[in-house]
Amino acid sequence: MRIGVYVCHCGLNIARTIDVEEVREFANKEEDVVVSRDIDYLCSDANQETIKNDIDEFKLDRVVIASCSPKMHEDTFRRCIKSAGLNPHLLAIANIREQCSWVHEDKKKATEKAKDLVKMAIAKAKNLEPLEDRKVPVNRNVLIVGGGIAGIHAALELAKAGIKVYLVEKEPSIGGKMALLNVVFPTNDCSICVLAPKMSEVSSNDNIELFTYSEVVSVDGHVGNFRVKIKKKPRYIDEEKCKGCIDDCAGVCPVEVPNEYDFTVGSRKAIYIPIPQSVPAIAVIDPESCTGCLFCEEGCNADAIDFDQKEEEFEITVGAIIVATGYEPFDARKKPEYGYGEFKNVFTTFEVERLLNASGPTRGTLARVSDGKIPKKIAFIQCVGSRDKKVGRPYCSKVCCMVSIKNANIIKSRHPESDIKIFYTDIRAGGPEYEEYYEKTQRMGVLFVRGIVGEIYEKKNGNLVLSYEDTLESEKKEEEFEMVVLSIGMGQDEDARKLGKIMGLTENPDGFFSVVHPKMRPVDAHTEGIYIAGCATGPKEIPDSISQGLAAASKVMGLLVRGETGVDPLRAISIPDRCDGCGLCVDICKFNNIKVVSKKAVIDEIGCHGCGSCVAACPNDAIYLTNFSDEQITSQIDAALSEKKEYPLIIAFFCNWCCYVAADLAGTQKISYPTNIRIIRVICTGMVKPKFVLMALEKGADGVLIGGCKMGECHYRFGNYGAANRMNILKGILEEIGIDGRRLRTIWASASEGEKIAKEVKDFTEELISLGPFGSEFS
Amino acid sequence: MSLVEDIEECGWVFGKDTVDSLYACMQCGKCTGSCPSGRITGYRTRRLMNKVQSGDRSILEDPDIWLCTTCYTCYERCPREVKTTDVIRALRNVAAKEGHMSKAHRATAMYVIKTGHAVPINDATKKLRKKLGLSEIPPTTHKYPEALKAIQDISKKMKFDKLVGFDWNTMNLEDREEK
Repeated sequence: MRIGVYVCHCGLNIARTIDVEEVREFANKEEDVVVSRDIDYLCSDANQETIKNDIDEFKLDRVVIASCSPKMHEDTFRRCIKSAGLNPHLLAIANIREQCSWVHEDKKKATEKAKDLVKMAIAKAKNLEPLEDRKVPVNRNVLIVGGGIAGIHAALELAKAGIKVYLVEKEPSIGGKMALLNVVFPTNDCSICVLAPKMSEVSSNDNIELFTYSEVVSVDGHVGNFRVKIKKKPRYIDEEKCKGCIDDCAGVCPVEVPNEYDFTVGSRKAIYIPIPQSVPAIAVIDPESCTGCLFCEEGCNADAIDFDQKEEEFEITVGAIIVATGYEPFDARKKPEYGYGEFKNVFTTFEVERLLNASGPTRGTLARVSDGKIPKKIAFIQCVGSRDKKVGRPYCSKVCCMVSIKNANIIKSRHPESDIKIFYTDIRAGGPEYEEYYEKTQRMGVLFVRGIVGEIYEKKNGNLVLSYEDTLESEKKEEEFEMVVLSIGMGQDEDARKLGKIMGLTENPDGFFSVVHPKMRPVDAHTEGIYIAGCATGPKEIPDSISQGLAAASKVMGLLVRGETGVDPLRAISIPDRCDGCGLCVDICKFNNIKVVSKKAVIDEIGCHGCGSCVAACPNDAIYLTNFSDEQITSQIDAALSEKKEYPLIIAFFCNWCCYVAADLAGTQKISYPTNIRIIRVICTGMVKPKFVLMALEKGADGVLIGGCKMGECHYRFGNYGAANRMNILKGILEEIGIDGRRLRTIWASASEGEKIAKEVKDFTEELISLGPFGSEFS
Repeated sequence: MSLVEDIEECGWVFGKDTVDSLYACMQCGKCTGSCPSGRITGYRTRRLMNKVQSGDRSILEDPDIWLCTTCYTCYERCPREVKTTDVIRALRNVAAKEGHMSKAHRATAMYVIKTGHAVPINDATKKLRKKLGLSEIPPTTHKYPEALKAIQDISKKMKFDKLVGFDWNTMNLEDREEK
């Protein structure tokens, strides 16, 4: 075997902490290494040329790169060696930046750790096999979940390119939150007026099939070929017959209930359409409130009422999915000091949007719903459910400053005599013409008070007394207002979270979906072929959501236009000689890709996701995972422990999709932790065999850490459940044979939890010190 | 030592994290707006946090720091989870150490050393206890003088008596220049 080892300085990113030259010298002495170099910026074109020349000159058959995370440049270097004629999978990367130089300060220890990581990569390289990329055909249909402003733009863009779009919306109409707003900043355009043309374009476009009042039930398959089950709730209306005239049926309906599309400041009938511009313009009967009196049936001239309608379920296949599920406004009841829901004249942003809206319950008159009085003194309170850790919302919702300024602007222009104060923490008005709009509103006479209101008291006449500190004056005041508007923030939609579980999307600690890279890949979900646009990944204003919808559409086009896509050749392969046909693998494969035929396991090569759960479940080692084979894993354990340099030493098996990425993130954020951990990347914790753990302990590790996705967030749905189960049982076995079970730890974290990983390493190290070296429990 | 380090040391009982939480203060004023003391006094919790953040030692002599009633409303509501009330309590420890304890707090401390109670029993309480069917004297230092002695020994050992300026001859507070 002829191996070339390349150690990158990465400017000073690596070389500041690690003695790169020493690492190179160390690697050079390893068996089979025929050339080694330390190079500044290995990823540059010129330095890739050096690698290519070496492959040619030294007849290399394996390449080891010690550099940044494989998540950064694995593809770069695979392309590099491929162009020099080497199989791209004969590459191993030692992650000495994110998981070493960026998280450690002690130069000596970091250098020693880097040597170990390189040694492990060389060991893995020796066990690599050439693999051929699998090509799979790409279905040219697309699913978009969510018909708000982001989903609508994505759908129209794709449809224009001739791509078939299935647009699924859970409400009876598309349009999302924007359809309910009064005007939009900074232009003061009527919101529905600019949105409605887009909505009707969706309904008239032949390439878009619209499913409203529908939800995604399940998603199977992979990039290029997802099978999606959709549930369509019954409207109890014949969609072919209904003309959307609504007055004939709703006019006679005797049931009146709070209207959720007016945020309950208005009311609707049991048969209704959400807003006049609804798309489709088809009525819906709310079964919760309908009494079954059948008056609507008599009123409807089109004979469209159909109480026999049932829930329908059907399946579609698509090549890609865009998730544009939007957000949920904060429930102001969670801030009891403001009395929302109790005090009659405390409103939220959305309620005021509806009151100001010409199609709202008051036809655009801002009146106190309780007594009809037009308020002359109005307070806006900012950051309600934003920048507030007490309600689990540490983030800024980004739009609320401008929204309140806009509403104050509108009220002041309609009622110049009104006295309006906006209570704020910091005004965030970054955006085109936003600061100018803020100034314009100040010039209209709207007052801005820097200070968040402490609490509110209600007076007998319904007026409200606000207790606050004007922080710029250091003065504490109590002031009476006739109306208070709570500027509520944005949170992840609860139904979206359920969808996330169905699709295996991962969440950030704030509940929003996480993307591959928050800066560089803002619309890519961690699963290939799934993209996320709009507020599903965090608060956004309208133009940002539109941009993301368009970005996701362009990503989808890039995928679909080729007609086929390369899939990682990672898959499970059975070894018939060892298989005794026990069928344990059949049970554990939740994708139903394994069958036992004539007492031998047969794995569907194309369908296999390559998670490795079957590999770990097989009692006979009769299945192996390409590129994560037993030999590749055990050789790394061996290399990490052949010369134990630290105490206590932790061997970690981190999942490629979550904990490994989180450990990289700890690096990017420079959150330091002890050097005594050697991380082995696995594709899923579900593939970690108990024998790996036992081997690590036997070879001298003091502890083993298994890091996988949070329950419900597994990239392969169930891999981490299997791992948790397996490791739990293994803990019991360890205890039985006299080994302290605390030496085996599991952590379930999402890709965004770098800090959690760093803390876990620290905690585990401390615990292992308290336990003493491995084996001390025997004496 | 910086003011924050002083507070960390004197507020060791709360832990470093509690005191360090004040770095997160964003000066929104939610604390002052919620403060029942600030409604009738010049006390501004937010300003206090600001002074501590900027290391302004004049705050130690500011009578304002003794106006907090430790009701913990601000603590409950702080959106950045600053442990406001505990920071103030730790801050008072620093002020006391530097000889700036308020007269009212010293007087309370005096009663603790003298009687074992911040609020010693009086005739009205005795009467009330009797009415409720309780013994006239509660089973505290009032009943067990040896327990009072233990409290006084602790005060001496911890130099609590020196801190509050307790005169064992007069069994009263020493005269101090009050700010």
